[in-house]
Amino acid sequence: MSKLLSKSLKRFAAYAGIVLACSIPVYYFAISTLWHYELDEHNIILTPEAGREDTFFIIGAITLLTVLFFALLLGGFVWLNRRISHRLWQPFYHTLEKIRAFDLSSHTAVDFERSNIAEFEELNSSISRLLDSNISAYRQQKEFTENASHELQTPLAIVQSKLDLLMQDSSLTSAQAQIIEETNNALSRVSRINKNLLLLAKIESQQFLELKDIALSEILQQILDLLSTLFAEKVIHRKIDSSYIVKGNPILLEIMLTNLLMNAMRHTFPRQEIELSLSDNVLVISNPGMHELDRNQLFGRFSTASAHTPGSGLGLSIVKEISKRYLWNVNYSFQNGNHIFEVAF
Amino acid sequence: MKILIIEDEPELAKGMVGYLAGQSYLCELATDYHQAWEKIGTHHYDCILLDLMLPGGNGMKILDQLKAQNKEDGVIIISAKNALEDKIRGLELGADDYLAKPFHLSELSARIFSVIRRKNFANSNFIQQGELKVDLLAKTVEVAGSVVTLTKKEFDLLLFFMGNKNKVISKSALAEHLSGDLADMLDNHDFIYAHIKNLKKKLTEAGSVNYLKTLYGNGYKWQYE
Repeated sequence: MSKLLSKSLKRFAAYAGIVLACSIPVYYFAISTLWHYELDEHNIILTPEAGREDTFFIIGAITLLTVLFFALLLGGFVWLNRRISHRLWQPFYHTLEKIRAFDLSSHTAVDFERSNIAEFEELNSSISRLLDSNISAYRQQKEFTENASHELQTPLAIVQSKLDLLMQDSSLTSAQAQIIEETNNALSRVSRINKNLLLLAKIESQQFLELKDIALSEILQQILDLLSTLFAEKVIHRKIDSSYIVKGNPILLEIMLTNLLMNAMRHTFPRQEIELSLSDNVLVISNPGMHELDRNQLFGRFSTASAHTPGSGLGLSIVKEISKRYLWNVNYSFQNGNHIFEVAF
Repeated sequence: MKILIIEDEPELAKGMVGYLAGQSYLCELATDYHQAWEKIGTHHYDCILLDLMLPGGNGMKILDQLKAQNKEDGVIIISAKNALEDKIRGLELGADDYLAKPFHLSELSARIFSVIRRKNFANSNFIQQGELKVDLLAKTVEVAGSVVTLTKKEFDLLLFFMGNKNKVISKSALAEHLSGDLADMLDNHDFIYAHIKNLKKKLTEAGSVNYLKTLYGNGYKWQYE
């Protein structure tokens, strides 16, 4: 790949070189013909040695001068061309830089510098229009998710309250109560999906702005304590050896760590071992597994890896979204029959 | 005990009234901002259930005005938004609790129970039920005068049941109450069995009547006449 400026310059230089090369035999021929003509006209007879010497001297001097001026011309030419082109293409490079720095999720429109060249002005306005419509489509999509999730909460609450009331009916049979409980479970899953979608929309629309210094080991310990009452039968080997302080929103950090840990616990059978280690700024959580998971889909939305899991299918996409905001690095790998999630804060 | 339900969704309001009426609460209903404001101005309530998004005005304004008038009514905000800022602002403005939609009616009832308790008994706060005596401030339980040591979760469960006297509570409502947001990420809700079993055992071993009944294999009821 070559740059736009050097592309035109190279051609010019090559052309000048060819002209220079071609001009040498022409000069040689013209000057020697002229020389012989002048000698004949004035009936000057030189010894062959002297004639050759003079011919060489004159041709040499003229060639030298020609090359000198040619070089001067070419150098100036290159310098001028570079200067003019550079200034000419400056708006283009500005535009390029702006587009490169553009981030759709930041919701900020791009301001292009005004240019007095029609083509560039047109380019900028076309790109502006394109970006604006993208930003507004993106925003609408986010707002839609957020609004739809909000609107669903009330009907969900109605269904929930009706089920709770139904449960109070004294003529209820065991089988009917079982159906209510199963409906309850499905309903709580719908509510969770809804809440998680709302959470994702909120993270993406740059809410949760509060920043705090948080000691990773402390927050991990809190979450582990909370989870240990739910997962008494699972073994967690922990090696927390870091006093790393991370800067972020405490709620988001807690959600992210909880999701990662819940994920490991949910996919671990009783009495199997979960390894957790925190050293410096790197957190590694690993749990035993059968197959490697599809890395491309893992962090996507609703990409549940196995059919029997009751999760919302959004846990890891929330992890991804949170880590993206703070530029933390989340990686998945599969080694020696273990799923390994690594977060570099 | 009087409760004002400010909720514009009639079906949801009906559900709440239906459940709470059976709990010896007297429920009144307001379906919009002005109606709510009228009722609050003329009556005293032990607890107000306040939906934030109301036709005619924002529920936050009601909270503002309650505070300006130094009203002592307990307030539980019920919101579809579940936005942290709303929650913080609501609690700052003097709301006692915040419940996000959707919720189990048993959760609502337990929260009302605890808000009313907190409001009415500022210094000493006991619930006496037969031979059972619960100290809400010290978080201790006595059966016929002797102290029973409960874990935090067991104490929590006991209060939840007492706040839902004679109601059938589903396993999923209990699981959600005990594990909060984590409930549905769990493969099963078996962990609540252990807590309930322990609570039952501790109380009956100390000489309490077994108030806690298991129904249909997946529901529980705290039976006390």
